[in-house]
Amino acid sequence: MPQFQIYFFRLLLFVFLQSFIFNQLEINAVIHIMITPLYIFLLPFERSVISLLLAALVLGLTVDATSNTFGLHTSSLLLFAYLRPVIFRVFSPRDGYDSLKTPSIFDMGNRWFISTFSILLLCHHLWFFTLEDFSLSETLIILQKTLLSSVISFVVCVILQTIFIKRTS
Amino acid sequence: MQNLIAFIKRLRYFLVFVGLQFFALSMYVSYMSAPRSSYFTTASYISGSLFEFRHQITQHFNLEKNNKSLQEENIALRKSSSVFLYNKSRTEAHVEDSIYAQQYDYIPGTILNVTTTKRNNFFTLNIGEIHGVKKGMGVFSSNGVVGIIHNTSKHFSVIKSVLTSNINIDVLISEVGVSGMLKWDGVNDNIGSISGVSNDITVPKGSTVVTRGGSGIFPRGIPVGRIKHTKTVEGEASWHIDLSFSQKYAALENVYVVKNLFLEEFTQIQN
Repeated sequence: MPQFQIYFFRLLLFVFLQSFIFNQLEINAVIHIMITPLYIFLLPFERSVISLLLAALVLGLTVDATSNTFGLHTSSLLLFAYLRPVIFRVFSPRDGYDSLKTPSIFDMGNRWFISTFSILLLCHHLWFFTLEDFSLSETLIILQKTLLSSVISFVVCVILQTIFIKRTS
Repeated sequence: MQNLIAFIKRLRYFLVFVGLQFFALSMYVSYMSAPRSSYFTTASYISGSLFEFRHQITQHFNLEKNNKSLQEENIALRKSSSVFLYNKSRTEAHVEDSIYAQQYDYIPGTILNVTTTKRNNFFTLNIGEIHGVKKGMGVFSSNGVVGIIHNTSKHFSVIKSVLTSNINIDVLISEVGVSGMLKWDGVNDNIGSISGVSNDITVPKGSTVVTRGGSGIFPRGIPVGRIKHTKTVEGEASWHIDLSFSQKYAALENVYVVKNLFLEEFTQIQN
C-alpha cells in the first residue's frame, strides 16, 4: 500500500480511538489519555516542518470537532509538531537518521524513544492543560494533570505501537 | 530588502507555526466566549450524527436508572396535576385560567455525549434549531439543573454544562432564602460551590439549593443540590459553600430545554 494511504487510514484510526474510546474513558478529573501526539511523532523523519504542521492542523481540527474542545487539541498538536524536529536534532544519532527507518519504538530503540517522546509529550500536555484551565490559582492542579496524564498517555502510546505497527526487523 | 527576505526565509517555519497557532487559539477563545458557527463542534452535522450512532449503542447501559427517575417524576406530576385531584370548589377552577398564564415551555431532548472530567465540560443534545432551541436557553433534567445552550445547529446543539469554569447560574438556598452564584472548581463532578453568600448568615448543612430564576433562563425552584459543608475564607466576608449536585452528570440521559415565553418582555424591562 502506498505510504500516503497508510498515513491517511492511520489518521482516521487515531481520531476514532481518541474521540470514541479515550475521550469516553473518564477515569477521573486528573487523568486524560491523549494519543493523538503519537500520530505526529510517527510521521517519517524526512518530513519538513510545514507538512508536520499541516498534519497537526488536520488531525487537531478533526479531534476538536468530535470532543468539544474548540481548538485546544489543534493548538497543542501544532506545538508538538513544531518542537518535533528540534528535539529530534538534539537526540540525533552520530551519523544522522536513517531515512528507511520510522521513529517508532522498534526502529529507534527504547532509550531514544523514551527520551524524545516523553519530552515532547510533556510539552504537549502542559500546553493543553494550561490553556484549558488558564488561571494561576490552579497551577498545582495543572502540574498534577500534566504529570499523571503524561505517564498514562505514554504507556498507552507504547501499547498502541505494539498492537498496530509492524516490526520491520 | 535582501536582508529582509533572508530574515523571513530563516524564520519561515516559525512564522507558519505562529500563524496556525494564532488561528487555533483565536478559534478556541471565540468559541468559548460567544460561538458564531457550529463547525468544528459536536453540533456540526457529521460529528452530531456520529455521536447519535454511538448513543444508539450506549443508551441501553443506563436505561434502567433513567426509566426509574422518569417514573418517579411522573408520579410526582400525577400527584400534583389537577386532572387527578378531586376539585372541591368549582369557582376556583374557573379562576385558575386567568390567574395562571403559561410562562415556560419545555422541549424534551436526549443527551448524546457527556464528559465530566475535563475542566470545561460540554454536552451534546439531539435537538436543534428546527425544534426551537436557541442559544442561551436553560437545560435541566428531572433530577436537577444541567446547563445552558451554548451553540446550536439545525438538528443538534451543545450545552455548556454546570461543570464549566464560568457557568454562574444564580441559585437560591431555599431554607435560608439567600442567593448566590453556582461555580465549579473542576475536580469532582459531584461537588459544586456557591459564592457570594455573606458569612453573617448561618447556612445549615443539608439545605436544598434550587435555581432562583432571576435571569429568566430557568424557572424558579429547579433543584441543584444539597449543601455539603460551609467554610470561612480568610479575609473575605463570604462563605465558601460546597454543595453536592442532585444530578449524577455521568449518567445523564433525558433533559428538557426551557423556553421562556416572556423572555423578550423580561429583558426589555431590565434594560
